[in-house]
Amino acid sequence: MADLSIDFAGIKSPNPFWLASAPPTNTGYQVQRAFEAGWGGAVWKTLGEPVINTSSRFAAVHFGGQRVAGFNNIELITDRPLEVNLKEIYETKKRFPNNTIIASLMVEPKQEKWHEIVKRVEAVGVDGLELNFGCPHGMAERGMGAASGQQPDLVQAQTTWVKEVATTPVIVKLTPNITDITVVARHAVKGGADAISLINTINSLAGVDIHSWNTIPNVGGQGAHGGYCGPAVKPIALSMVAECARDRAVDVPISGIGGISTWQDVVEFMLMGSTGIQVCTAVMHHGFRIVEEMIDGLNNYLDEKGLASVMELIGKSVPKYSNWGDLDLNYKVVARINEDNCINCNKCHIACEDASHQCIDMLTNAEGKAILQVREEDCVGCNLCSIVCPADGAIDMVALDSGAAPMTWNQRNQVISGLNGSYSEVEVG
Amino acid sequence: MSAFDEFDQERQAIDSLLLQGYTVTGIFEDLDGAKVRFIRREPAGEPIELLLLTADARKHVTTLIFGGSKPAAPIETHT
Repeated sequence: MADLSIDFAGIKSPNPFWLASAPPTNTGYQVQRAFEAGWGGAVWKTLGEPVINTSSRFAAVHFGGQRVAGFNNIELITDRPLEVNLKEIYETKKRFPNNTIIASLMVEPKQEKWHEIVKRVEAVGVDGLELNFGCPHGMAERGMGAASGQQPDLVQAQTTWVKEVATTPVIVKLTPNITDITVVARHAVKGGADAISLINTINSLAGVDIHSWNTIPNVGGQGAHGGYCGPAVKPIALSMVAECARDRAVDVPISGIGGISTWQDVVEFMLMGSTGIQVCTAVMHHGFRIVEEMIDGLNNYLDEKGLASVMELIGKSVPKYSNWGDLDLNYKVVARINEDNCINCNKCHIACEDASHQCIDMLTNAEGKAILQVREEDCVGCNLCSIVCPADGAIDMVALDSGAAPMTWNQRNQVISGLNGSYSEVEVG
Repeated sequence: MSAFDEFDQERQAIDSLLLQGYTVTGIFEDLDGAKVRFIRREPAGEPIELLLLTADARKHVTTLIFGGSKPAAPIETHT
């Protein structure tokens, strides 16, 4: 059995599975139940000046029969006084000394406010701090959360203020509601962040009721934008984690967040540079005990891969993530249809005819059976047919050896620039 | 005409010139495609310009220059 423990910026955790700062980490009762279930750590629901929340807070996007493909919330940070939370954090840490408790914090962007909350929270024995510069709704209207996180200089300044007094590792949680998340990540590092976590939720409106014309959710007929999360956001989160992981200026550990629901998701985030991960929506949908399957699955995976520690996964796919301009233009894949598995639904033909390059022919074979066949010379290898195909194993994407040397768009441009700029003849042929 | 046939015509035109001793001296790309300029010194010939329309042909000519190789044999297809 592999070692699942992690060292995240000096924070030791029995496994990489942490609960994200959110409704499941609102109280000591919940966090203790989570630890009993097997969660390695929890980021306590964001502490700050207690808010007043609305009634009717959550909404979900169900898609294609899957409930909660996406999740939207307009709930704010804790609505309980700081001392109440601190007492429960102390009790929880005392009962579960080997589990990780991170305090998520959000206050006005003032040095004295940050100093005060950091000192009070660290006094009860948290393992680290997470600065919430990410929540897009409600608190942002008050100049906190994403409103802070969208200003790189403010992220840097607030991180610096925290580091002036903090004695535990400081994690800066980033908002995805920004053009280039690495800019903010770099400023967090400049401010002294020991780690970053991403992503927080994405600006969203879950829907509009076409009968009442009310927003979903709505508070007495009025709605406001919320934060979107759940499986639907995973590709966005993974991309942002990858961008930070490959940025040499962002040389701190990453806690990956965003749509993580299974152990396979965890592996993906760790391969793409996360040292640990955080989960919220999947727990809101299925409860704390989903971690049991995640632990088993990760253990089995590591054993199958012959890895002794989960830490060996971190960042292994990062070198494989590059810029479009560095991809090989001469790499070629084509679709191949396996007649044994094809159910002749024609989805591939329709997709190729209507949305791609019209290279899948509907034919009749020698036995009079209808078959679908790819004209490989016209296939651009877009993958669309294999994506829409409902039959497992019916379409394979097969790499062909074009015989041409690898050449990227950037290399091609260099060739052309050199050719046109030098006026020298390049001997070809 | 299939996309491959369009490309193949342009590829044959490129390869033919190269086999005749022409060399590529410039590639100029704009909204209409790539204008590729060829010249030959021995025996001297008038410069020739091909307008390449297909992406694969534009890729082919630069691949040849990048790789410093001779025109490859036609690609074998599987259909």
